[in-house]
Amino acid sequence: MISALWHAFLAGTFWHPLSFVLLAAGVLGPALGVVFSRNIVRAALWLLPCLISVAGLFVLLGAEMLAGIQVLIYCGGIVVLILFGVMLTHGVGDPDIRVYNRQLWWGLLGVVVFAVVVSFALTAQLWPPLPGQLPPNVTGRLADALLGQYVLAFEVASVILLVAMVGALVIARGEPKE
Amino acid sequence: MNWLTTVPLQAYLTLSAALFAIGLLGVLIRRNAIAVLLGIELMLNAANINFAAFWRYGATSSMEGQVFVVIVMTLAAAEAAVALAIILNVFRRFKTVNVDQINLMKG
Repeated sequence: MISALWHAFLAGTFWHPLSFVLLAAGVLGPALGVVFSRNIVRAALWLLPCLISVAGLFVLLGAEMLAGIQVLIYCGGIVVLILFGVMLTHGVGDPDIRVYNRQLWWGLLGVVVFAVVVSFALTAQLWPPLPGQLPPNVTGRLADALLGQYVLAFEVASVILLVAMVGALVIARGEPKE
Repeated sequence: MNWLTTVPLQAYLTLSAALFAIGLLGVLIRRNAIAVLLGIELMLNAANINFAAFWRYGATSSMEGQVFVVIVMTLAAAEAAVALAIILNVFRRFKTVNVDQINLMKG
């Protein structure tokens, strides 16, 4: 065990599993912070390290473009949007008296059942090993796929984004005063 | 000692299942509607990790996995904007964002 670790360290093949473990800790720890911190501003800020670690996982999987989009859209857009929502609804830093609803134990039970089912599915299946080297120019091929074969999905997504933006404006503006 | 040189696909799937479970817990047990939204974002990220991992361990010659992640992120942004607008409107009307106090349609 120890010698195998040492040989992997010497061969320089250790960085991939090691960075996976570090990033997994960086995903799951802040995610627990998101769910269990009592202050809603802190919960929203815990989302940041979680999302950045997910971007690191994308880099580890060889999808650099996705990592960039993740940082730009999630960390730069959605977290800021949620912080604005907190600011406009709740009063900054207002500590809730009771942050959990009455379904705490039922929720825990449901999550445990979910985890059991998923772990059964994960162990019942024989998963493929890692294929060899990535083909070159992944980002360029992603661009070709987005604007070539999947251009319809791309355009539909952009129309949905436009409609959602206009709809959010209309909903958030409220009724005009008499 | 294969796991010392490469990360197996199960590791990514287990990680994303754990992240999904944490997000589901947040959706189920939090009172604040914005905290529920945070849980939904965690679940969407778990799905994205799965898409990227299956792309890497499956057929890297086609780009379906990454295209899916891009579309999911777009829809997540749209969903967050609309959800926050609705929460804002609910707050204006009910003076609260706690989901267990907004029970106007309860029979």
